[in-house]
Amino acid sequence: MERDNHQVGETEGVKICDPPCESNPPADTLATSLSLLGNHMFPDPVERNYRSTVKEEPEDSLSDITAEEESLDGDPHPHQVTKLETEETESSGCQNNVSTQQLDIENEDAATDNDRSDSGEFVVTMLAKAKLEEQGIGVKGRSSPLLEAETQEPPAFMSHRDEDVTADSWRQHRKHVFVLSEAGKPIYSRYGSEEALSSTMGVMMALVSFVQSGDNIIRSIYSDGHTVVFLQKGPLVLVCVSSSRQTEQQLRGELLYVYYQIISMLTQASISRIFEHKKNYDLRRLLAGSEKILDGLLNLVDSDPSFLLAAVHCLPIASSLRDALSQILQKAITPNLVFSILIANNQLLTIVQEKTVIEDSRLEPADVHLLLNLIGASSAFQAGEIWTPICLPLFNPDCYFYAYISYLDPPECTVCLLLLSTDKEAFYAVAECKRKIEEAMMAQNSLSLIAKVQSYSVSQVGVSDLRHFMYKPFDVPDNYRQLTQFTSPEMEAPYSSEEEKMRLLDLYRYMHSRIHSSSRPLKLIYHVAERETLLAWVTSKFELYTCFSPLVTKACAITAITKLLRWIKKEEDRLFIRNPPKYSTTPNPSKSSRGGKSDQQDSTDNGFLSLL
Amino acid sequence: MPEVSKMKKPDVKLVLLGDMNVGKTSLLHRYTERKFKDTISTVGGAFFLKQWGPYNISIWDTAGREQFHGLGSMYCRGAAAVILTYDVTNWQSLAELEERFLSLTDTANHNCIYALVGNKADLTDPKAQLPQDSDPSKDQTECGVERTDTQVLSACPTPPASPASLSGITLQKQVTPEDAMALYGRILRYKGLDEKSSLPAEKMCFETSAKTGYNVDDLFEALFDLVLPSILRNRNESQQSPTVDLEECRGAGNKRAKSGCC
Repeated sequence: MERDNHQVGETEGVKICDPPCESNPPADTLATSLSLLGNHMFPDPVERNYRSTVKEEPEDSLSDITAEEESLDGDPHPHQVTKLETEETESSGCQNNVSTQQLDIENEDAATDNDRSDSGEFVVTMLAKAKLEEQGIGVKGRSSPLLEAETQEPPAFMSHRDEDVTADSWRQHRKHVFVLSEAGKPIYSRYGSEEALSSTMGVMMALVSFVQSGDNIIRSIYSDGHTVVFLQKGPLVLVCVSSSRQTEQQLRGELLYVYYQIISMLTQASISRIFEHKKNYDLRRLLAGSEKILDGLLNLVDSDPSFLLAAVHCLPIASSLRDALSQILQKAITPNLVFSILIANNQLLTIVQEKTVIEDSRLEPADVHLLLNLIGASSAFQAGEIWTPICLPLFNPDCYFYAYISYLDPPECTVCLLLLSTDKEAFYAVAECKRKIEEAMMAQNSLSLIAKVQSYSVSQVGVSDLRHFMYKPFDVPDNYRQLTQFTSPEMEAPYSSEEEKMRLLDLYRYMHSRIHSSSRPLKLIYHVAERETLLAWVTSKFELYTCFSPLVTKACAITAITKLLRWIKKEEDRLFIRNPPKYSTTPNPSKSSRGGKSDQQDSTDNGFLSLL
Repeated sequence: MPEVSKMKKPDVKLVLLGDMNVGKTSLLHRYTERKFKDTISTVGGAFFLKQWGPYNISIWDTAGREQFHGLGSMYCRGAAAVILTYDVTNWQSLAELEERFLSLTDTANHNCIYALVGNKADLTDPKAQLPQDSDPSKDQTECGVERTDTQVLSACPTPPASPASLSGITLQKQVTPEDAMALYGRILRYKGLDEKSSLPAEKMCFETSAKTGYNVDDLFEALFDLVLPSILRNRNESQQSPTVDLEECRGAGNKRAKSGCC
C-alpha cells in the first residue's frame, strides 16, 4: 500500500488528511521550520492544504518495482507527454482556486516497521500542524505564488552577492544552491549574501538535524513549484531549491559537483580535520574569493550538458593534428609530472597521462569538469603563469596536485596548457616543460592550426530533420579505461538564443531522467514535444539523445539515427580522443612511497604532497 | 612568439604578499599593463617575467586567501624583495601582514629587502586621486572623466573588489604611514636586522593607488634599483658556475618539507 502511495505520489501527490490530535513537541519545531522555510522560499496564499506523501522505504527497495524496458518496436510511452501536460493544467488550476502544496519527504534507513509507521504518521502530523503554525507567524513580503515555471533573470548589472534576499526576484531564481556546515553556519549561497540568509540556512539545518534525530536522513521536499534536495557530505550540508523540472536524482548530482568543487579547493581531509577541531568554524574564511568559481560551476551545470552526461566534450580535430599535439606533450616531461592537458576554448584538445600513476585508474570526467571550470573562472589575468594546488576529488579526495596553468596564445588566450605535478616545488621544472611545448608547437605551426578548429554543424551529418544530438559511447574493450567522452554539434537555429538553448537542454534533461529513472528506467523514448520531437536511446554501447523537427515519425527518426550512428562511426577519430599516449616520469626517489597497486589505500593526508 | 617564451633565467625574484582584496594583482597589472581593471581573486600564485633594461625580473603575484597559505613559503624561496601589501582603509589588512605573512618570508634570501605598500590610497587621499599614468595614451581620459564626476559628487569610487564599494562614500583612512613605518621597524627586528644598516623606513614604505597609478611606478622602479646589487651578484655567480641553475632546482627539491596544509 505504501508503494501505491509512492507511485501515485510521483504524479499527483496523495492526500493524507488525518487531522492529528496528539501534540508532539518536536513536531512543533519541525512544523515551524517547515513553514518558515516555506514562507521564505515559496510564499503562498494563506490558505494552504498540505498534501503529503511519505516515502518510507529505503531507496534500494524501490528497485523492486519492475523496470520497464521498451524495445524499438514497443510502444514508447506516448502517454508520457500527455501526462506532463495534464500536470501543467492541474497546477495552473490550483493557481486559481486553492493553492496546494504537496510535501514529500523521503526518509532513509527507517529503523523498524513500527518506527516507520510512526514516522509516517508523524510527518503527516507535523505537516498538518505546519498549516496552523503558519498563520501565527507573520512574514513580510508575501506575494503571489511562485507557480510559473519560467522565471525572470535579475538585472545583470547587480552582483548576485548583493541581492536583496527578501525581494521577489530573489525567490524567482530557477535554482538556488546553499552550502552550510553541520553547525548551521552559512558557507555559500548562489544568490544573495550568506549573512542575510543565515536564518534561512538555520531553518534548513533544523530540518536536517530534526530528521536525523529520528535516525533518518532528509532527502527531499516537494512542493508545488519547487523541489528541495538535501545532500549531506561529511560536515557539509548542501541544499538545492529548484523550480526547474529536473529530478531529485539530477539535482543531487549537481549538488555533488558543488561539493567536489569545494573539495578540489580544500581537500576532504582538511575539511574534516577543520570541523573535527572546531565544529562551528566559518569555512568562508578558506573559501573567500572562491565564490566565483562556485558561481561559474553552477552556471556551467545549467548550460553545459557535459555535467548531465558525466562525460567530457572534446574539440573535434583531425586525428593527425591531435596525435601531433599529444606527441608534443608526451615529449615535454619532468619528474612527478602526471597529466598534460591541452585546452582550446574551454574544450579538450588532448590529454596525456603518466603511466604508473594512472595504471589502474583513469581520469574521471567530473575531475576534468572541475579543472576546466577552475581555468574558466580564474583566467581574468591571463598573462602570467599560474601555479596552484588543486585536488581531483574523484582521483583522490585527500591530496593535492599542483597545477601549472598558462595560455599559449596571449593576448587572445584561447589555447591553455594545464600541467599537473605531484611536486609542490616543481614550478620551474614544469614551466620549462611549457617552453618546450611552446617551441615544438611553434615549429609545427600548431597554434594557427588550432585556431582554425571549430565545432561542427549538425548539417555535416547529412540527415534532414535532425536538429541536434548528443552521443556518448561507453567503454568498449578497445578503448577501455579512457576518459568518458561525448560528442555533440553546435546548437544552431532554432536553438541559438539562450532561452531556446535552455529549453532544449531541459528537454534533454527530461529524457535523461526517464532513461535513468531509478524506479522505471527506459531504454528508448520517442517523445513528441510541443516544438520538436526527441528520441533517446540507450544500449550497452552508447547513450544517444536526438532532437528532430516536430513532424518526424518514429520510423523516420529511427532511420535517421541509423544514418547518424554510421556517420559518427566514420568520424570517430576526429570526434573523440582515441588512444591518448602516455609517458613515464620517473618518480623522484626521495618519495617513492608508491609501492604499486596498494597505493590507493595508504594515501596519507599530510595536506600537500604524497598523491599516492 | 614574444621574447618571454625563449627560456630566460630570471635574474632576481620579487614577491607580492598581503591579505586578499588589498590589490596585489591590480598593482602589478597597473605597472605591467598600465591599466586598472577588474580582477578576480588570484588562484595560487601567478608568475610574471618583467624585462627591466637588460635584466629579467620575476615577480610572483600570490593569492591572499588563507586557502593558499601553505604555498607562501614556496613562492618566497630565494626572493630578493618582498612587497608586503595592505589596504589603507583596512586596519586588519596591516595586522594580517604581521600575523600571517611575515613568517612566510623566512625562506627569502637573507639579504632580502622588504617594502610596505599601502594600496587604495585614492580612497582617502585627494592627491592620489589624480590620474598618474605617465602614458597618457590609453586610459587617462577615461580615468580623468571618472575622477571629475566623483569629485563633484565628493564621493570616491572604490575598486570593485573592496567590500567598501557598496558604501560609495569617502573612506576613513585606517592605516597611517606612521603605522606602516612602525611595522617596518618590527619586521627588521623580526629578521634580526640592524635598523641602522638597513634601508630606512621612509624609503621602504609606500602609499599607492593601483586605480589611478599613484606611486605605482615609483614603487616598482625603486625596488628594481634596490635589487640591482642582487642581480649583479647572481649574474656573477652564474658566470662562475654555470650549474647554478640546476643546483637551485635540486636544492629546492630536497628542501621539500612535509608541511601540513592550512
